Amino acid sequence: MVASGTGTQLAIGCEDGSVKIFQVVPGGIQFERNLDRRKGRVLCLSWHRSGTHIVAGSIDFFRVIDVASGQTVQRIMVNHQVEKAKRECVVWAIALLSSGTVVSADSFGRVQFWDWEQGTLAESHTVSTSAALSLAVSEKEDSIVVGTSTGATYQLQLLPVKLGGLEKCWVRTKPFQFHSHDVRAVAHSSTALISGGLDAQLVIRPLMEKVQKKGYDAVLRKFTFPHRRLVSCARKARLLLFQFSQYLELWRLGSTEETGKDGEVLPPCRMPEHLVQLKSKGPEHIYCSCVSPCGTWVGYSTASRFQLYRVRCDGDGVSLRKVPKVPKLLPPAYQLQFSADSESLFVASARGSVHVFQLLEPGGCKHLHTLQPPSGCSEAVYLLAPSADGHWLAAVSGDWAIHIYNLKCFQHHCVVPAYSCAVSALAIHPSTNNLVIAYSDQQLFEFSIPEKQYTSWSRAVQSRGLHRTWLERDSPITHITFNPKNPAHILLHDTYLLCILDKSLPLPDDSTLLMNQSTLKQLPETARKRQLHAFKICKKFQPLLFMDLLDENCLVVVERPIMDFKTQLPLAVQQKKFGT
Amino acid sequence: SRGFARRCSRGLRLPRSARAPSAGVTAFPPCRYLLCASGDFVKVYSVNTEETLRLMGGHADLVTGIQLNPHNHMQLYSSSLDGTIKLWDFMDGIPIKVSSLGFYLHLHFYPLSGPHSSVLLLVSDRFFFLWSDTFQLVSVKLTKGAGQDLESKELSVVLDGVGASVKHIAFGREGAYVVSVKDVTLQVYFFKRKLLNRFSLSTVKTKGGDNRFSCVVCHPTEDCIATGHADGKIRLWRNFHHRKEYTYSTLHWHHDIVMDLAFSVEGTRLLSGGVESVLVQWHNESSCQKDFLPRLGSPIEYISMSSDGALCCTLHTDNRITIINSNLRFSRSIQGLIKSRDVKTGLVVDPRTKALVLNGEPGHLQFYSLQSDQQLFSLDIVQRQYIHQAGLKQSDLVKVAFSAQGTWLATVEESEEVTDPELQLKLWFYSEETQSFTLNTRINTPHDNHITDMCFRDMDELGDDSLILVTTGRDCVFKVWVMVEDTDPEGKTHESVSWSCDFVGSYHNYQATNCCFSEDGSLLAVSFEETVTVWDSLTWDLKCTFCHPPGNIRNICFGRLTCSKYLIGATDYGFLCCWNLLTCALEWSAHLNIVVLQPDPLSEHIAAVSWLSKESSLFVFKPNEPRPLYIQRNLCKEKILLAAFVPRDEPETISSEKYLWLRKSQLFFLTDTQELMTLSTKSLEERLTPSSKQLAVEESLPVTPFSLLLGKHRHQQAQEDTDLGKPVVHNKQEQASPAVKELLHTPAHVLPSASFLCTIFINSLLISKENKSAEEVADEVEMESEKADGDSDEEDVTVMEQEDTSPMELLGEMTCKLSKSQEKELRKIRKMDYSWIAAF
Repeated sequence: MVASGTGTQLAIGCEDGSVKIFQVVPGGIQFERNLDRRKGRVLCLSWHRSGTHIVAGSIDFFRVIDVASGQTVQRIMVNHQVEKAKRECVVWAIALLSSGTVVSADSFGRVQFWDWEQGTLAESHTVSTSAALSLAVSEKEDSIVVGTSTGATYQLQLLPVKLGGLEKCWVRTKPFQFHSHDVRAVAHSSTALISGGLDAQLVIRPLMEKVQKKGYDAVLRKFTFPHRRLVSCARKARLLLFQFSQYLELWRLGSTEETGKDGEVLPPCRMPEHLVQLKSKGPEHIYCSCVSPCGTWVGYSTASRFQLYRVRCDGDGVSLRKVPKVPKLLPPAYQLQFSADSESLFVASARGSVHVFQLLEPGGCKHLHTLQPPSGCSEAVYLLAPSADGHWLAAVSGDWAIHIYNLKCFQHHCVVPAYSCAVSALAIHPSTNNLVIAYSDQQLFEFSIPEKQYTSWSRAVQSRGLHRTWLERDSPITHITFNPKNPAHILLHDTYLLCILDKSLPLPDDSTLLMNQSTLKQLPETARKRQLHAFKICKKFQPLLFMDLLDENCLVVVERPIMDFKTQLPLAVQQKKFGT
Repeated sequence: SRGFARRCSRGLRLPRSARAPSAGVTAFPPCRYLLCASGDFVKVYSVNTEETLRLMGGHADLVTGIQLNPHNHMQLYSSSLDGTIKLWDFMDGIPIKVSSLGFYLHLHFYPLSGPHSSVLLLVSDRFFFLWSDTFQLVSVKLTKGAGQDLESKELSVVLDGVGASVKHIAFGREGAYVVSVKDVTLQVYFFKRKLLNRFSLSTVKTKGGDNRFSCVVCHPTEDCIATGHADGKIRLWRNFHHRKEYTYSTLHWHHDIVMDLAFSVEGTRLLSGGVESVLVQWHNESSCQKDFLPRLGSPIEYISMSSDGALCCTLHTDNRITIINSNLRFSRSIQGLIKSRDVKTGLVVDPRTKALVLNGEPGHLQFYSLQSDQQLFSLDIVQRQYIHQAGLKQSDLVKVAFSAQGTWLATVEESEEVTDPELQLKLWFYSEETQSFTLNTRINTPHDNHITDMCFRDMDELGDDSLILVTTGRDCVFKVWVMVEDTDPEGKTHESVSWSCDFVGSYHNYQATNCCFSEDGSLLAVSFEETVTVWDSLTWDLKCTFCHPPGNIRNICFGRLTCSKYLIGATDYGFLCCWNLLTCALEWSAHLNIVVLQPDPLSEHIAAVSWLSKESSLFVFKPNEPRPLYIQRNLCKEKILLAAFVPRDEPETISSEKYLWLRKSQLFFLTDTQELMTLSTKSLEERLTPSSKQLAVEESLPVTPFSLLLGKHRHQQAQEDTDLGKPVVHNKQEQASPAVKELLHTPAHVLPSASFLCTIFINSLLISKENKSAEEVADEVEMESEKADGDSDEEDVTVMEQEDTSPMELLGEMTCKLSKSQEKELRKIRKMDYSWIAAF
């Protein structure tokens, strides 16, 4: 399925060899017509920039279709000149350049450049011994990135044969091997090559020559986990809800009665218990989920449906009952959040709106209100943060504006001053009602909701600047929570570290060591005092999915070892390694 | 004088490893010549016959680079450490132009093509400081004109901080830019735009990666730079006129450093070579296809393509050139003295062939003919596959000894393990039928520790029964090995003979370090650390001991002929001692740090080489006189490790009193940089006369049987001419030659009938039959050998001074008659020793 360059038409290739054109209309798509149907599955499609032609790749051949007439104007076999073994040559990816060159990536590991009008092969590059699976062309059409089934990606560049000359040729230049499995999707941004593979990783490789200044863009980024909260915690009921792509799992936490020293593993007196697995219906993935703090409500949402369940624990048995007559929402939720008292549910929705539901005993809900920014907003809300006293709600929409609503009178309270970066996490302090915001560029802000301004600590942080090591971290803060015992403590975590930010301590400067916990341990008490700074970082748990404070002296941490799902991956393509 | 002894003639010097010369195949006439810088000389090889066609000498120091003249492929530029650049006509071997560049020391250089034809670029040391590693690329404007010794002063620096090796600089398509690599930095300088781009790779070595550059070449038609790296990667750089948007792709096959790269003429193929001894051919970079030519014997050091693309040649670290066809088939190889990693065997002379015997390929013994500068054959001693891998302990040959007649050869091999050497002593018998050595006896672990020395008892007259082999070891014993006949009844053949240990001797549990038999074989001297012990070789009784404390004995040898009553020893503490065996007393001693002690087998002379404060000095003395006969201080800067006296075929006539000791044998040295040198009695000018001073002309005739016959004929005459240098004989001898010349030069349509010419031609080839005696037959044999010598020595054919007699007269003269007196003179001259010519 590929959209045309103008975005008004959608072409869909089918198993039966037909190509269907859909018109994009507001609110949906409309079937327009069928193009010339030929035998053979259509595996890939590409529009010409002008929208006049479509190229469709199949097994052993690809064809060029004139959109206006719907006729196939050229059919080119790609499997000629291949070794005698009659294997079929699958065209996995194809691109039609504005110059009329067709670029095909096939299962023989070749990237071929064709002049489709003549039907001739211009260049052929064997980039890999295994299949070339994906292809992406840069905006200027002078660079192509190819993903292969060995996990390697290659860049091909259109370079002049002679410096300053007009004659140009494609040259395979940079190979990158960041994946262990098939690279199924690649994208070419103006400054980076982005690849995603079967090994559940997203890799952004910057093109150093295109990056103007050193910054976030200039570093190789690897993502294994989505920058979203996938785990929710019912603090009072000590339940954890894990969100998987097709189902939810509800677990009861174990507990221990013993105490021990740092580093000791205590024997649990109660083992953690898997209470229930909730499967979503249909093929859709679960988009968001939440469990209420009291542990009796579970809600989740897929792309089309929003579901709410009532959980009852009686003794050992757990019963799950679907709440009937949940108001239909269109489009469904982007984020769910229960209030601290578990009496209402906030549903983040499109166009900057937040629906507020009232939860009713024994199992029902009622739509109370829809909060919307006064100036209107085109983007959906993706993060919500209610205050503990049930007074305030902060909502972040896709345009990165943070709106704060007063829940007592369902009114818009204020907007946090705009910052040119995405919000990765936010939370409202239970006692001071200060909103702590973490941005994806690793900046931290504290905004006082009652005073509608940044706090003095936040201003101090901004004037001083954060530690360089902190700013150069790879993954964004995904969750913020607070220590009810000490209001100066803010608990933050990202995929690799857990941090207690102590506002009462001085901020570190670039000359001091940011991660100083291990060195501090070795220092005597008096020297330790002098070395203390605001960031107390623990890197013990990696990769860290979730962290929350259950009560005053109990912290829950969810770790997802990478080996757990590496072992579930299919075998990688066998490759001979030198020296083995 | 210094120039006197310093350089070996005839290119016997091995290429130095660090600055080995480049080889280049010339273009015109289509790939017939291979040019190679070797020592102070430039050698011209024939590609078809592998023969050395010409030796162009004239540089007073190491030739550092050669380049074909881009405007005339018959001309060659050569540069040398002596500060000159010479332009040669290599077909004739004459220098056309000599440019001296003053104090600038240059390593190699590049003639520019195009509009800057008179400009040379050269890599030069900035301030003549050898130890500074800042080299510059300098452009030099050469003065026009074809005189000799032109001074060039117009210098300007193009690039700073370039690599010293010839492989670190390359010129781009049509000379538009120059590329230099050093460490991890690549510099590109565009001449027209005067733009310098510098690209650096990361210095961090990750996962076995090492980004240091090892070599660079440029694509001949496209703007593409190929660089080789220390970790075996090859990078192809493009778009390098952008400081930022440059890009490169990587090819990786080699597992260790890429030693050299070469593009084919059209640039469609890239050749690379390294320590794997495999030549890799990369096709069009878009396909992953590559071809290999494996098993080339030793690591590839240089790769050079011929200008028509039909051939390529690789220069190997062991001093061999391999010529390879364009379809990657091995064609032929040119093999001189093999450079082995370490000459452990010493320099030994094979009594049979007079060839120099030393370590060759790993595990092999090479027989190297000094006369023809060729390897005679290579004997596989270890008989195991050698694996090119760093750190792998492999067996190698460490000791070798020949019996007096050359019928027996003893070899010792040991693995490189220091603690537990696996020792093997092998005895080889020379089989007349197969004309090679066959293994007779193999003794495993002859000693419990390293074998330090080994010698045969040299007694020609006593026959095989007296043959005794003595080995000394660090296990504090010396062992005597004798031949034992097997119980097999039909006993006398050598197949039924084997060797076994006869006697084990030791002295106070000291390590035995050297052994040596006296000339008559009656006495054996074995040195045990500080003491020399003398043993009776019949009863194995200890006769007497000598020592000169402090210091261990480093070398010992007996005097010969009239001085056979003396025993000479050199100690670690720098003493040379001479003991009288009759009085058992020290005759004399001298304070000298002797490294090498080498007796001449044909005379009483003993050569001793000392090493003191970075210079080697040579002393030649007779044991009976404490004063040396000959002293050559500062023989060379390198440390001389080994020396050998090679008997001359003919005693040389030596005018100077000083060099009388060189009459019967020639002295060769091997330095620690593995250069083979000899002491020549002729000065540099004398030696170079034939090749540089004479005006030589040779038509490039097509190689036909006729031309070969003719060539030989002319050659023989030329040889005699140069030998005699007397016009008297010229007249007579050359009578036939103009006849032949005329025959060749007269247009075919005016020539008389072939039957008429035939007799003239045949006659011209004949030697007059009159009064042929037995003496003369001997002469002829001698002459034959001279001819053989000449074939390899002197390829230069001098132009014969033609007589003014008209060709018609000559044609009419059927036979050439020599008067008796003339004949006698001719005979006398033939008997004379011309082997000095061989010094070229």
